[in-house]
Amino acid sequence: MNKSSGPHEENNRAIEELLSNARDLRWTVGDDIHDQLLKNIYEQAADISDKVVRHDGKKRYDWDQKLDRFLTGRWTGLPMMLILLSLVFWITIVGSNYPSAMLSGLLIDSLHPLLKNFFSGFLPAWMSGLLIDGMYLTSAWVVAVMLPPMAIFFPLFTLLEDFGYLPRIAFNLDGLFRKAGAHGKQALTMTMGYGCNAAGVVATRIIDSPRERLIAIITNNFSLCNGRWPTQILIASLFIGAVAPPALSGIVAAGAVIAVALLGIFFTFITSWGLSKTILRGEASAFSLELPPYRPPRFWQTLYTSLIDRTAIVLWRAVIFAMPAGAVIWLISNITVGDLSLAEWFIRALDPLGGLVGLNGVILLAFIVAIPANEIVIPSILMLTVLSLNLHGMGTGAGVLFEPDSLNSYMQLFHQANWTLLTAVNLMLFSLLHNPCSTTIYTIYKETGSWKWTMVSTFLPLALGFIVIFFVTQWARIAF
Amino acid sequence: MNPILLLIDGTLILILLALIFWPEKGIWARIREARVRRQRILLEDTLKQLYDHEYYQKPVSIASLAGALNLSQEKTTRALQSLAQLKLAVFSGGQWHLTAEGRGYALRILRIHRLWERYLADETGVSEAEWHRRAEKREHDLTMDEADRLSETLGYPVYDPHGDPIPNRFGELPPKSGRPLTAAQPGTHTTIVHLEDEPAILFEQLSAEGLYPGMAVTVLENNDERVVIKGEGKKITLAPVVAANITIPVEEAKEAEEAEKEPFLTLADVREGEAAEVIGISPQCRGMQRRRLMDLGILPGSVITRELESMGGDPVAYNVRGALIALRRDQARLIRVKIKKEHHEPQL
Repeated sequence: MNKSSGPHEENNRAIEELLSNARDLRWTVGDDIHDQLLKNIYEQAADISDKVVRHDGKKRYDWDQKLDRFLTGRWTGLPMMLILLSLVFWITIVGSNYPSAMLSGLLIDSLHPLLKNFFSGFLPAWMSGLLIDGMYLTSAWVVAVMLPPMAIFFPLFTLLEDFGYLPRIAFNLDGLFRKAGAHGKQALTMTMGYGCNAAGVVATRIIDSPRERLIAIITNNFSLCNGRWPTQILIASLFIGAVAPPALSGIVAAGAVIAVALLGIFFTFITSWGLSKTILRGEASAFSLELPPYRPPRFWQTLYTSLIDRTAIVLWRAVIFAMPAGAVIWLISNITVGDLSLAEWFIRALDPLGGLVGLNGVILLAFIVAIPANEIVIPSILMLTVLSLNLHGMGTGAGVLFEPDSLNSYMQLFHQANWTLLTAVNLMLFSLLHNPCSTTIYTIYKETGSWKWTMVSTFLPLALGFIVIFFVTQWARIAF
Repeated sequence: MNPILLLIDGTLILILLALIFWPEKGIWARIREARVRRQRILLEDTLKQLYDHEYYQKPVSIASLAGALNLSQEKTTRALQSLAQLKLAVFSGGQWHLTAEGRGYALRILRIHRLWERYLADETGVSEAEWHRRAEKREHDLTMDEADRLSETLGYPVYDPHGDPIPNRFGELPPKSGRPLTAAQPGTHTTIVHLEDEPAILFEQLSAEGLYPGMAVTVLENNDERVVIKGEGKKITLAPVVAANITIPVEEAKEAEEAEKEPFLTLADVREGEAAEVIGISPQCRGMQRRRLMDLGILPGSVITRELESMGGDPVAYNVRGALIALRRDQARLIRVKIKKEHHEPQL
């Protein structure tokens, strides 16, 4: 085919020779060629910038430096951090009460019966039950409980970030995290986890070292998220507050919730340390942290991006997962096999395990059906309790989530289900230490791209939870 | 059920699970570890040893091979016979030699081994003492294509972290050069080019002394009892058997480079408000960690001022080219600097 193979061959030979020369030279160039290249690039860049950029001779800092001395000072750093973060939490909790009640009134109290009536008109009962009582109600519940705190917490957090304060927290706490084999920036993702674990997992992108990032992802679930605070507060005020004299009950209940949150921090450090000593030992590790100059936050931009990037995405994922969960809740409560519903069969099957760890089958099943959103743990427990005890006149029907209107009716229900102080304590512990919600699990998979780490993040806290409540239960049964 | 019994049962189960699944030391890990040395692995190791003897021009004997392979002489002989059947080695002139094919095979294994060591050093946090051991296992698992891809992601490295050249895709190596440190006269200024990683016990001593390829040293004393060298301002005394595992170039350096100078200062020694000029980043800082530091502008010639201490005193924030960068003490120790006497404006 090729008539002029002569010159080609010659060319090929020349190329071969050239390549072989290049390979020989590689040995003499050595390995620090990248260093040299980078050094030259920086030198040239500095040359160019010296020619075209003028400095007005003013130092960057004066007030930046003063602020830094104050915010990262030996004695002022920690108190300032606690004050600022407590403020953020307080604004979130207080500020979300009203919009939450409003949303719940709108979506659950008003819209739900309306939709139910409308669809019952032309749909068979089972279908309107599945669609409206199951899928719609559960999603509406999740939105009503989840949206307001997130819409407040995330913008506040982003404002602090934009101002330049968050990197200073990482700077201050790095010493502590270093001892646990983790990165100072984990302080930020951990704090973010108090808003939402899925957002906390996404936030670990700021950690550029793979090992430290995995540690931050796996331990993020130990930060009590917005969906779990209400459970903690409710159970603490019903059971733990009741143990103390009435005058102190509020403080004791609040103390119990804080103790659980602190226990979460304790587990974060212990697990980080354990992971970095065992399965994450060989992973690559590097530390770098830039402290940007302080600047006035861009308020509207921050509000917009935090609502779109964090709140909307997380809420969307939560709703996507809540709808099938709603269907499952309704179906297991309404499909009967023999003379019992599926839910009751499950509860009976789980009761022995529940008894062993000081909970009961209802609670375990509730935690399973509430995997999509921790917000529906308590409503699921209530609904399943009513179902399993055949309590007529309570609740709003099989597979329909509800919440009593007073603390007394909660108590009445729990007493009928034979709950003790131990059950309450275990429920609080298990709510801290169990698998992350499905939104978070999905996010972990998206972020790590690995089933292995997704499974570790899912089952490690669950296993820890069972171990902790098992031992607490046995000790309590021996001691009392 | 009786809670006391449950408590005991639970504790026992936890201990049992820990015994089985504990990473690295558990039964499960040990079973995986202690996989039988299969025939192929044995043959590949023998090939590699033959090549090693050839490269360093050591005479091959069954005893020396058996010692290096940690095998009985009988098994070693059988392995050599198998190699001969596969036409990878021949016995001629009273000695075992590699055939051309055998040499190619050995170089492929060597390429994977050294690339993997380089990978462990650059991209993971695996400690220095474990590189060789892990590469010894890995070299039998990777295919040539995988090795090529690894080489690409590592930026086509030419030397492994011990200073050994990595054979390229065509099985080429630079001609061997260099001599053992024990051959150097007192007063020689030189640079370490290679640290032998076998046997592990001697390498551990070398790495414990902080020696690394690329380190400039001066030989102070060299006799049958001890070899004393000076590098980075420290005096290091080595047993001759240990020093023989250090390779230096054949030709002497013209003048004392860094070896004769004062002990190095590192960024960790810089005091508050002081400015320092970077001389270089220690070769012990590798891979991602090194790239990170250089990306941040920490390069020879950069002027760095120490600015802010965190609550516990570690990390410390430094002004690097106008940006405030926090570094941990362990990192600052790897950056060599000299203190600038007159205070400079921060460099942008």
